[in-house]
Amino acid sequence: MSVSLTKGGNVSLSKEEPDLSKILIGLGWDTRTSDGADFDLDASAFLLAAGDKVRSDSDFIFYNNLRSGDGSVEHTGDNRTGEGDGDDEALKVELTRVPADVQKIAITVTIHEAEARRQSFGMVSNAFIRIVNDATGREISRYDLAEDASTETAMIFGEVYRNNGEWKFRAVGQGFKAGLAPLARNYGVNIG
Amino acid sequence: MAVSLSKGGNVSLSKEAPGLKVVRVGLGWDTRVTDGSGFDLDASVFLLNEGGKVRSDADFVFYNNKNGADGSVVHQGDNQTGEGSGDDEVVVVTLDQVPAEIQKLSFAVTIHEADARKQNFGMVSNAYIRVVNGDGGTEIARYDLSEDASTETAMIFGDLYRNNGEWKFKAIGQGFAGGLGPLAQSFGVNV
Repeated sequence: MSVSLTKGGNVSLSKEEPDLSKILIGLGWDTRTSDGADFDLDASAFLLAAGDKVRSDSDFIFYNNLRSGDGSVEHTGDNRTGEGDGDDEALKVELTRVPADVQKIAITVTIHEAEARRQSFGMVSNAFIRIVNDATGREISRYDLAEDASTETAMIFGEVYRNNGEWKFRAVGQGFKAGLAPLARNYGVNIG
Repeated sequence: MAVSLSKGGNVSLSKEAPGLKVVRVGLGWDTRVTDGSGFDLDASVFLLNEGGKVRSDADFVFYNNKNGADGSVVHQGDNQTGEGSGDDEVVVVTLDQVPAEIQKLSFAVTIHEADARKQNFGMVSNAYIRVVNGDGGTEIARYDLSEDASTETAMIFGDLYRNNGEWKFKAIGQGFAGGLGPLAQSFGVNV
C-alpha cells in the first residue's frame, strides 16, 4: 500500500521496504498552455552534504549532467515518453552507492524560460512525486502537490534523505518565484 | 526524543544535577529560504497549580507576557523568523524561585498563524525544542519538530514538575490541533 504524504510529511523508505537498494523517483504533471507557448518542465536533483550544500557543481544532476560521478544518481533524460505510469521525468538512485557524506538528495522541477513565456506552477496541475522500489516496481510513497495558486517557477517537490541510519522521503512542495538561479544558489551551486 | 530522554520518560533534575538552579528551554529553527510567509515559531509556558490550571492569566508566559511568577520564569523574547544560530527563543526557569503553589510548568511550541499561512513543522528546516541544564548547558532532552512533529502545527513538549520535593522533567511530545488559543483555554487562561 503506497504511503500518501501531505506537505511537510515524511516516511521511512527503509521501514516500508527492508533491503531497499534502488529507487526510481518519478515526477509528473499536467500543464495548461498559455498563449500557445509550450511548457518545458525539467526535473533535477541536488546531492547535498552537511548544511544542505552540494560538494561541487557536479552534484547538480540535470539534463546536461545526467549522472553523478559515483553513479549513484542517474537522470533518465529530458524526454517525454509517456511510459511508466504517467511519470514525465524520472531519476534513479542507487541508495547503497550514495556517498556517505551526502545526507540528502533534493528533487526539484523548474520551468524552462518561465519568465519569457510568462509561466508558473500556478498553471501546472496534478503534479506528483513518487518513490518506486526499482527492483520490484512497487510504489512506496507518493506526494500529490495540491493546487495552490502559485507564482513559483522552480519548485522543490521532495527530498530523499538519511535519518538515524534509515533512508526517508519528505514531501516539500516549496519553491522560488525567480526560478532555477536562486534554487541552485541556495544549494551552493555556481550559476552564471 | 533524541538525546537522553524518550517520549513519556521522565528524569529527576535534582538527581541529574544536584544543586541545579536554572533550566533553559530553547526553541530553534532555520529561516525560510523558499517563497511564502516566513516561519514564526513561538515558545510558551503554562504555570499550573495542583488542579492543573493557571492561577491567573499572568501564569501564561509567552511573547506578550515575558515575566512570570515574580521573575522565576522569563521568556527572552519573540523571534519571528528563526534568524540567528543556536536557540532562537529561550525561556529561563529559576527553580528555587518558582512559587510553592506552582506544581507544574507545561511547555508548548506553536507556529504563529499556522492555519492562515498553511504551515506545519515539517515545512520548517531544522526545527527543534530542547531543555538544557542552565549551569553548564548539558542537554536533557530534545525533540526534532521538523522530523517527528512534521504534520503538526502545535505541540506540548514536556512538563517540568515537582515530585516528592524534587524537580523532574517529563517528555511528552504530543501534538494538538487548533493553536495556542484553545490550548491556553484548556489550562484556564481567558483568551
